[in-house]
Amino acid sequence: MNQVGKTVDTPNGKLDILVNISLDVKYQEAVVIKGASGSGKTTLLGLMAGLDQASNGDVILFGENLTHQNEEQRSSIRAGKVGFVFQSFHLVQGATAAQNVMLPLELSGMEDAQQRAIASLQQVGLEAKTDTLVEHLSGGEQQRVAIARAYATNPKVLFADEPTGNLDAVTGRQITDLMFHLRDQSGTTLVLVTHEQELLERGDRQILIESGKLLTN
Amino acid sequence: MKIKRATIHSYWLMFIATVITVGIVTSSQLITDRIGLLLDRQASELLAADMVIVSSNEFAGDYREQARKQGLQISQSVSLRTAIFIDDNPRLVELKAVDESYPLRGKLERAAEITGERTATTEIPSRGEVWVDTKLTQLVGTNLSLGEQSLEARWLLTYEPDRGGAIFNLAPRVLMNIADLSDTGLVVPGSRVRYRMMFAGAQADLNRFKSWLSANLKAGEEVQDLENARPEMRQALERTRKFFALSIVLTLVIAMAAIAITARYTANQEAPKVAMLRAFGISQFSLLKYYLRQLGALWIAATVVGVLVGWFTQFPLQWALDGWFGRTLPQVYGFRPYLTASLVGLLALAGFSLPYLINATATPPMQVLRSGGNRRSWMRGLLISGSAIVAVFVVLVILMQSSILAVATLALVLTCALVLPLILAWMVKILLVSSRRRFWLRQYLLSRLQATSRGAIYVMSGFSLVLIAILLIAVVKDELVGEWEAQLPENIPNYFLINIRSQDVDGIRSFLQTHQIEASTPYALVRARMSQINSVDVDKIKFSHPRASHSVTHTYNMTYADEIPDQNKIVEGQWLNQNPGLPQVSVEQGMAEKLDLKLGDQLTMTVGSKVLQAEITSIRSVVWENFKPNFYLITEAGLLESFPQTWLLSALIVDHNKADLKQLLKTYPSITLLDISELMARVRAIVDKATVALQFFFLFALASATIVLLAAIQTGRHEREIESSLLRALSAHTSQLYRVHVFEYTLMGALIGFFSACFASLAGWAISVYFFNIEFQLSPAVWIYSLVSACLVLTLAGTMVSRRVYNISPMKILRS
Repeated sequence: MNQVGKTVDTPNGKLDILVNISLDVKYQEAVVIKGASGSGKTTLLGLMAGLDQASNGDVILFGENLTHQNEEQRSSIRAGKVGFVFQSFHLVQGATAAQNVMLPLELSGMEDAQQRAIASLQQVGLEAKTDTLVEHLSGGEQQRVAIARAYATNPKVLFADEPTGNLDAVTGRQITDLMFHLRDQSGTTLVLVTHEQELLERGDRQILIESGKLLTN
Repeated sequence: MKIKRATIHSYWLMFIATVITVGIVTSSQLITDRIGLLLDRQASELLAADMVIVSSNEFAGDYREQARKQGLQISQSVSLRTAIFIDDNPRLVELKAVDESYPLRGKLERAAEITGERTATTEIPSRGEVWVDTKLTQLVGTNLSLGEQSLEARWLLTYEPDRGGAIFNLAPRVLMNIADLSDTGLVVPGSRVRYRMMFAGAQADLNRFKSWLSANLKAGEEVQDLENARPEMRQALERTRKFFALSIVLTLVIAMAAIAITARYTANQEAPKVAMLRAFGISQFSLLKYYLRQLGALWIAATVVGVLVGWFTQFPLQWALDGWFGRTLPQVYGFRPYLTASLVGLLALAGFSLPYLINATATPPMQVLRSGGNRRSWMRGLLISGSAIVAVFVVLVILMQSSILAVATLALVLTCALVLPLILAWMVKILLVSSRRRFWLRQYLLSRLQATSRGAIYVMSGFSLVLIAILLIAVVKDELVGEWEAQLPENIPNYFLINIRSQDVDGIRSFLQTHQIEASTPYALVRARMSQINSVDVDKIKFSHPRASHSVTHTYNMTYADEIPDQNKIVEGQWLNQNPGLPQVSVEQGMAEKLDLKLGDQLTMTVGSKVLQAEITSIRSVVWENFKPNFYLITEAGLLESFPQTWLLSALIVDHNKADLKQLLKTYPSITLLDISELMARVRAIVDKATVALQFFFLFALASATIVLLAAIQTGRHEREIESSLLRALSAHTSQLYRVHVFEYTLMGALIGFFSACFASLAGWAISVYFFNIEFQLSPAVWIYSLVSACLVLTLAGTMVSRRVYNISPMKILRS
């Protein structure tokens, strides 16, 4: 990211969410971004992942400059290469664990989606719950399914937005361990947003953000 | 600002649902009130007098004398059916001959031409002229042959007070001077003629005359006055009222369901606001008052708009019913229809939305810290369901004016409300189970339909109800009636020749044979009434069958025959010629069942002033639909041939024989031709109009079902947006998002269409077999119409309303 800024229009005029952000994330690196509420960390994550468009500056992902691409184009760049884990899991209710993991695989056009989904669930220790509806799983199990979904496509980068935010401390540690274990296994680059100090210390690099600006990188 | 916009929007759907509710009730109440006003206001005009004696025979002279003694005005009319020719085509007409005093109440109206000014008149047709119905407008200025007379069609008859409902008088009217009637030669002994003697005067004089009449009235004569005038019309009104009440039940239930769904959505939207206000110390009671004010304002606004909508929509209904009751329906100036509609709107709003809003005001203030939702206890669930059921019941009682009918309808509605969603959910489940290899797109869509938060099952139930109702009408109207007609043999008779004089029978048979016209055996008709069964007066016998009283007061056409008629089968006993010498009669099976008749019973029949007795020696089954002469009572020649009689036969007259008919009628002017195909066409026209009226109400139902769809989409909007955002984050393209939404609604439409076609076909089969007693033909048209219309409506409405989610930003998922 090079001199990236994000400005939004509000009833009171323009508001700068991010100002002059410049950073690099290396291949296979685990980067943890920490900031207080309203610091702009979620916006930063969104820009890095190509979910949002910067107002100025360049965001380059897999060699492609995302800044002037529309959503369709950014989606194509993401397809099969980027995984996500969300704070609220965001699993498809009414579908099983396996079906949730199959979803991004099928959207990307992969033929052996079911086998890959089952394999991914095995990796996160949920081989016995493949046919369980996700609403019948515990919070920790749901987040495992989300992690399995994120890793099922063998992404190059995995973006996680407060992955332990809705979990208790014990479960949260288990999820963190799992994410880093899988990252070590697969060599996936990990970009993680959190407000937990313990998670910050697990990363290869820590980025602190405040009021839309990087404090440390 | 955003909250206010969301609130207004959620109220907007509730507003429309309430407008539909009020509108449909206004429309139906106005129409039924207008019909009622026509009958109430013009009761005496319907008789053209204050009191009438009606008979099939000429009156004795003492009625006139007695009436004059009481100071009453007197008038007389004679009505019969006969045929005239228009361009070589026979046309059945209702001929009415009146005297100078007619009408005693009300006035005739006439016009020189169809577009000419209609003027009321106290005159009647002069000697040598007739006035013709507006349906015979082309005859004005020409000469009309009526029997042996040629009379000038001088005026168009635009209104006669005692015409009655057009629905019951299929033939156009011709009015003539009674002095000309005898010269026509149309009235012969045994003819089917209706004599009316009309009286008018002061009530006291009428009462005295009526008392005298009760002791002197002869058998077969009936008195009609303002209390029992036109019972068929009053019955028609009651049936019409119930018919409309039942038709709008479906629409009302769906509209009220729409109110419920939108109320639930509003309550969910308001819950966070309520939690915040309660956290700040605002009491639940204050919040309740606030929401009651909101509902009150909504009710007032919806009532005003709904009444206007209902007022305007009565006109298409009026057009559909035009002609049923003989003249334009009078305007209603009272407030009752509007008050009823506004009351129904209030009940629906209160019954269906109030429990949700009360529930919302009970949102715990703790929800500002932890959003756990306002958990619905079973008590609250009971309040919501109970309130809804009571509201529906009260509305039904108001509309149907019968608590028994309301209970029955409510039971039916509840059954549908419970069973339909279950069946549809089961269908989705079956599809889900059937294949699990891929998740995207099919399984994904089916799991969306199953998710209760989306309310898809309820949307499908609402639309299914509407579509089933529309299909059923189509199945009954076109498929069954059409199929019934199609199943009739090709060479069934299309004309009945009635009023044939005995001396003309051989000549007519010979004529028909010469012109190669296929005809049935001619049968004599002797009009007789049943007076005793086994020497007991019929009015003293208690029959078990509910329609027995109609059968015993009915005037029968008895006949005699040596051979058993075509398609009659003896089910008990032996045919007449097996028991020579014994006065005997053969009775139709249905009549025997109604009157508890069995072999060996003695029937006493009155023919004019004479009496005949006969023993029942056989009971027959009859195929009434074969369009041949069929009879309830058949005896032997010796018993009846000395009585005054006319004859009838049925004939198949094809196009190239129609010109021969003119010659036949010239030679035998007393004959009346009854065109069956014209009758069937008129019956079909009446059925068509009834169908239009019904389908009009179902447009309202469709609008209501669409509101349910919009409300359901609105309720699940946030969930849809999150899901679309998630799919985008998982790299779905816009085209994939389009597809998932379009397919979701198309799949819903396909399920609705399939289920509705199944149900309508099943109902059609049941009606064919058990009601019409014909073979059922499965119609591909019903299936095609059902599937295509359901898919189109759901897909168009659904995708248009939810189009915002196609371009949703994937950032929404991070911010949710």
